[in-house]
Amino acid sequence: MRRNTTPLLIVVLFVFSCSTPHQSSSLIYNDYRIEKQLKPDSTLVMMLQPYSLTMNASMNKVIGFSSNNLNAKQPESGLGNFMADCMRLMGEKKFGRKVDAGFMNQGGIRSYIPKGNITVGKIFELMPFDNLVVLQEVRGSVLQQFLDKIAADGGWPVSAGVIMGIKEKKAVQVLINGKPLDEKATYIIANSDYVANGGSDCEMLRKIPKIDKGYLFRDALIEYVIDLTKQGQPVDSKIENRVTNVN
Amino acid sequence: MSINRRKFIKETAFAGGALATASLLPVKAEAAGTRHITILHTNDVHSRLDPFPMDGSRNQGLGGVAARAALIKEIRNETDQVLLLDAGDIFQGTPYFNLYKGEPEIKAMTMMGYDASTMGNHDFDAGLENFALQLRHASFPIIICNYEFGGTAMENKFQPYKIFQKGNLTIGVLGIGIELRGLVPENLYGNTIYRNPIEAANQSAEILRKKGCDMVICLSHLGDKYEDDKISDEILAKETFDIDLIIGGHTHRFFEEPRKYKNRKGSDVVVNQVGWAGIQLGRLDYTFSGFNRKSFSNAHTVVIGKKTRE
Repeated sequence: MRRNTTPLLIVVLFVFSCSTPHQSSSLIYNDYRIEKQLKPDSTLVMMLQPYSLTMNASMNKVIGFSSNNLNAKQPESGLGNFMADCMRLMGEKKFGRKVDAGFMNQGGIRSYIPKGNITVGKIFELMPFDNLVVLQEVRGSVLQQFLDKIAADGGWPVSAGVIMGIKEKKAVQVLINGKPLDEKATYIIANSDYVANGGSDCEMLRKIPKIDKGYLFRDALIEYVIDLTKQGQPVDSKIENRVTNVN
Repeated sequence: MSINRRKFIKETAFAGGALATASLLPVKAEAAGTRHITILHTNDVHSRLDPFPMDGSRNQGLGGVAARAALIKEIRNETDQVLLLDAGDIFQGTPYFNLYKGEPEIKAMTMMGYDASTMGNHDFDAGLENFALQLRHASFPIIICNYEFGGTAMENKFQPYKIFQKGNLTIGVLGIGIELRGLVPENLYGNTIYRNPIEAANQSAEILRKKGCDMVICLSHLGDKYEDDKISDEILAKETFDIDLIIGGHTHRFFEEPRKYKNRKGSDVVVNQVGWAGIQLGRLDYTFSGFNRKSFSNAHTVVIGKKTRE
């Protein structure tokens, strides 16, 4: 009935169901895409208008420029690298200490950055959660467990300074700032408080003390883009083989 | 049941399918003895009130509540036997939610005439108190039977299941939420207790069936399936007795077509999910024939066919 729909047909025969007074005999499935060609319902448009006017006034502000279309992909993506690098670099800047590695949970990447101007609203869609940047001091053995979790999930964004392979759902050939991961050493890692609190099944991090300054990761992303713009640089993150599948 | 009878019924079903394909549009005036229900559904709309912006991205121009409302209105003009359902994660994903905490999302669903929704993990994102507060804009119930909300802001603000009367059809709807620990920050879900989805779903479905429901629908935010043995719609479908249809969410999957599984009784359970962000509206047109025989096996057979052209 509407263009670009994909109607499918299913016939269900509920054969002599004991207890039901009516038997379902057929099921027709129809899949509608909600497209621009549909004339918008004016009552909904009017309901939204006051909300969107106020929202757009703050969200349409341009803060930077992206040289590429950045999308979330596994095991590694330019978008993920941008976010994990921000986690590490802005963590260092805000907390005033060296951070060995920054991370981002794959499921926490909620949108994309198209090539062109980057608005505040784009960053809100990318990081809608009120997650905080937190630091944790972890043993190398815990970091290995965390990287194994990342590997088992098919690869999450990691900052520059981390190189790892994924083999049979484990992190292998791990290098932290050029050196093999030392299970007995201590590392400072930056994560969202969501992950550090055990979110995305990161139980190994949950009980480790968190250094927290109430710094929203979304604010970190906005400031990171503004810093790049001030330096005359676009967002230009690329895949650098930080996380790769190995045989 | 004899093999011949089963064969006969299967062939009849195929023939019925061919007929239904020939006339895809459900007619308002139905033949005597048949009952019709149109189930419209969304999941994981994630505050996508406006369409995706025209920025060259894959989903540009898609979605938006105003366009969805227009489509729903059009379908309602065609048939008045409509049940409009959502499988959770109404909230979070656009600045609308950061600024207004879900108020326009709930208002929009009320204006579209949603009959029910279940809760997704992101509906906790501005706190359970906030979700409960935003429900003052809802004219539809939140249905969930495996979260216990005693001592939280949601106490008395949800229903484990609900029965809808659509013409002569009685339809039971229950809701199932996902495990919160390790997914939702503890400070957001507070005292909410997560109960085993299979047990809760079977209990509610049995009650609904005993109350005479012709059809039992489960709104689920478990996710369609996983590589490991984590509870999913696939596992739920196989472990249930009385659920006919699972409207799923959480995994943001665009199904090629509804899936079907055999339940504990050997009957088919249909599972469907329509991606996320309100990019699609799912539509399932059920036609119930009025025959009423007892004492036969109640195994349900589902035959799936695909329409090849418009």
